[in-house]
Order: sequence, then C-alpha cells, then structure tokens
Amino acid sequence: MQLKLSIAAAALLISVASQAEDYVTFQYLQYNENDDRTAVSAPSIMINKDFGTDFTLNASFVYDAVSGASPTFNSAAGSMLDDYDDDDHDDDDDDDDDDDEYSSSGASSAASSGASAFARGTDLNATDVKFGNVKYDDKRVAGGLALTSRFANRDELTVGFNYSSEKDFYSKEASAEYMHWLDDSKNQSISLGLSYQFNEILVTCIENSNCDVDTKSGASQKMDASLINAQLSFSQNINSDSYAKIALFAIVEDGYLTNPYMNVVRNYNEITNTADIVSENRPDSKIAYGASIKYANALTNKVSLQLAYRYYIDDWGMDSNTLDSDIYYEYTSDWIFKFGLRGYIQSEADFYNAKKDYFTNEVYASSDQRMSGFSSITYKTDADYKISEQWSVNLSANFYTQSTGNNATYFMTGFRYNF
Amino acid sequence: MKTILILSTLLLFSGCIKEVKPWEKGVLAKETMKDGGTNSLGKKFEEHMYFSKEASKGGSGVAGGGCGCN
Repeated sequence: MQLKLSIAAAALLISVASQAEDYVTFQYLQYNENDDRTAVSAPSIMINKDFGTDFTLNASFVYDAVSGASPTFNSAAGSMLDDYDDDDHDDDDDDDDDDDEYSSSGASSAASSGASAFARGTDLNATDVKFGNVKYDDKRVAGGLALTSRFANRDELTVGFNYSSEKDFYSKEASAEYMHWLDDSKNQSISLGLSYQFNEILVTCIENSNCDVDTKSGASQKMDASLINAQLSFSQNINSDSYAKIALFAIVEDGYLTNPYMNVVRNYNEITNTADIVSENRPDSKIAYGASIKYANALTNKVSLQLAYRYYIDDWGMDSNTLDSDIYYEYTSDWIFKFGLRGYIQSEADFYNAKKDYFTNEVYASSDQRMSGFSSITYKTDADYKISEQWSVNLSANFYTQSTGNNATYFMTGFRYNF
Repeated sequence: MKTILILSTLLLFSGCIKEVKPWEKGVLAKETMKDGGTNSLGKKFEEHMYFSKEASKGGSGVAGGGCGCN
C-alpha cells in the first residue's frame, strides 16, 4: 500500500513538474521565397512566468525585417519591373529585358515624388502592362501580453493584448478566453474565446496616380478595418495517452480589406492598345466560419503524433481544407526530432481573375494570387537538444511550396531556458 | 464540415474514452503532446506565415495580432 502511494505521489510530482511553465525562449527566423520575393529576418522572444498556482503571465516580442518583392500588375514603362514568370497571369510579352525592380516602402509604397509607386493610371500603353515583382521593404514590431487567472474550481480566464506596428499598418487587439472544466477529474473542458482587432492602414493614391501624399509618411489616406474572432472549443482526454480538441469559429471583418499593394487591369482595349491600372478592390466586409479538430496520441513512450484538420468557408466564395500532421520522436532523453507535413487547398474568391483583359466596371476585382485557387504543402523538420534541465537548443528547417509557383524555405534556431 | 461533425460525434459517444486520473497525466503534459510541441514560438511564426500567404485563418485560438502582410 505504501509503495502504491509512493508511486502515485511520484507520478503526481512528475506531472506537476512537467507543467511548471517558467521559461524564456528565443528564436531567430530566416525566411526566403524564390524569385527574389519576400525575405524575412525575425528575432523573437517569449517569456512565460507562473505566479503561484493561480496566475501565469506570457509576454512575447518579435521584430521582423522584411524585404523583397510582391507580384502585381504594373506598367513596365520606365523599367520599373522584373518580369514575373507565372502561367496564371497572361503576361504575353515575354521579351522585355528590363531588369530593374521598382522600390517601395511604407504607406502602400508611396513615392517621395507623390507619384504612385505602382504606376497606376488610366489610358496606359497596354503593351507596357506587366505582371511583375515590385520591390518593397518594411519593418514590423509586434508584441503580446496574456495573463491567465485560475479560480478555486481551476477554471481559467485568459485576457490578452497584442500590438503590431509597420510603416503603413498598425494593429491593436484585445482578447479574452474562458475555460471551464466539465468534470471533477478535469478531463473535459469547454472554452469560449473572443477577440477584437482594430487595424489602421496608411494608403496612397487609391483613386489615381497623381494624388498628393504626405512627404513624411507617404500616406494620402488613413483607412481602418476591424476584426472580431469568436471560438468555441471542446477538449477531451481520451485516455492517459491521447486527447482530442474540437473547435468552431467565426470571424467577422469590416472596413478596408483591400490589399493596398495590389493592382488590377481594367478596360484593356486591344484596338486602342490602352489599359487602366488601378488598385484592386475587395468588399468592405467578410464573414468567415469553420471548424477544426485536433488529435494527439503518444503512440509509444518515444513517439507522439499530432493530427489537425480545419475547414474554412467565407462569403467571398472561398473555402479551404487544411490537414496538418507532426510526429515527435524522442531519440534519447536529450534529443527530440520532429517531422511534419501540412497540406492546404483553397478555392478562389468570387472577384478574382488573373487576366489583364477581364475586368471592366466590376465593383470588386482582385488579381492577388492569395485570392486564387491553389494548394500548398509544407515539409517540416526540427531537432531539439536538451543541454541540461535548464537549457535546450533547437534547429528547424522547413520548405513551403504553393501550386502558384511560390516557394519558401525557412529556418529557425534558438534556445529555451527554464527557470 | 460534415467530417468534423461525424468525428466529433464519434468521439463524444464512443466507448474509447476513459477517465484519466491526475497521476496518469504525465504523458499528456509532455511538450511533444502540446500545441506547438517543443517550439511554441516557431508555431506562432508558421501561423503568421500561413496567414500572410493564404486566404484562410481561424481555428487555433482567438488571439494572434494583426499584420499588413504584403
């Protein structure tokens, strides 16, 4: 009997020890896309600190240095673009040997001269209309703070605040999530979460190519958008080796949802050889909802499997399916390896078209590849080495590929210190 | 959506669920069983990347912050 109690007590201590969550973790991220598109260097840090058993504080900070190029329609007059090889876009003039890219940064790429950095305009020479990369650079600073409080019945309330700042985009978000245990043994829980996000976007020259802009910020207009995200989830421990979590979510967005960097071609006329290049225009509201399910199972004492599936649908005509899987292999007590595979497929938005002779007077129009129908696969690997009880280091190498032709490799390395 | 509902129903009403005592939760508390596994910051970055490259979001919590991703 005494032995049994000792084993139970030891197991409980192990369980409690493994839940101690005082740590600081640092990661350095390097992300690079093909075709000289986006490159990101991002150091980030997260601190998690328990205050007794009733409070946990989590703080995170990231600094993104972003550079590269985004593909969109432009006028190639004046050697402003790189040709972009993309079969989905009918850029039929492939003999352009211009090799300069157009640079932009801030306020949706405002140019100091006040002219549109994206060469928007009407009655342009249609021969010069290209789908190509436009260079940009930006810096993003983002931070988050979350406080979790536990009540006498061990229910949890987490309130958080997130802030993000770029040259031409500011975001503030407040969130709250309440988790309620449904049974005494704490194997079943239900959570309700709600967040409100307010975004400010500095844009320039939405209507024409010769608008006045603020020479400092480059902005001619400040737009805003809001987002409300609600999620109801149910979690169940299935046995001592596995659990499942099911979530239903709804997201309501309102305001300026257009991507200020993206252009479309309207009124392409073969006879007069003219075309207009204007900002894309998306609806000013979006309602999305969906469901997700996650299942985690310790297959053996060394191998764990995490599976997740998500279905998403919105009123822009898009839906998507995401399947994500990660396998963790504890090679020794010091080494943990992860191998992951994620598959994703989405349908195109109602107002998406990639052709330059398609749009005329449609209200909503976008040629942004993110609004197109495509699939993607992510291959993930990670190695985590425990140096001591306090210190561990990791290295992660990953490859992301889209059917649009956009590929990316990203590496992460860093450390974690438990205190 | 139907798949989710079917799986949810099976999970809720299946006989495979058994009560897990507090001292049996050591495996469930392992990092390899948690969201993000051994690298929770890396998970945040990946979600940020998917958010900026794909048109879907949601399902992994309500907090996350905004981004004017190009």
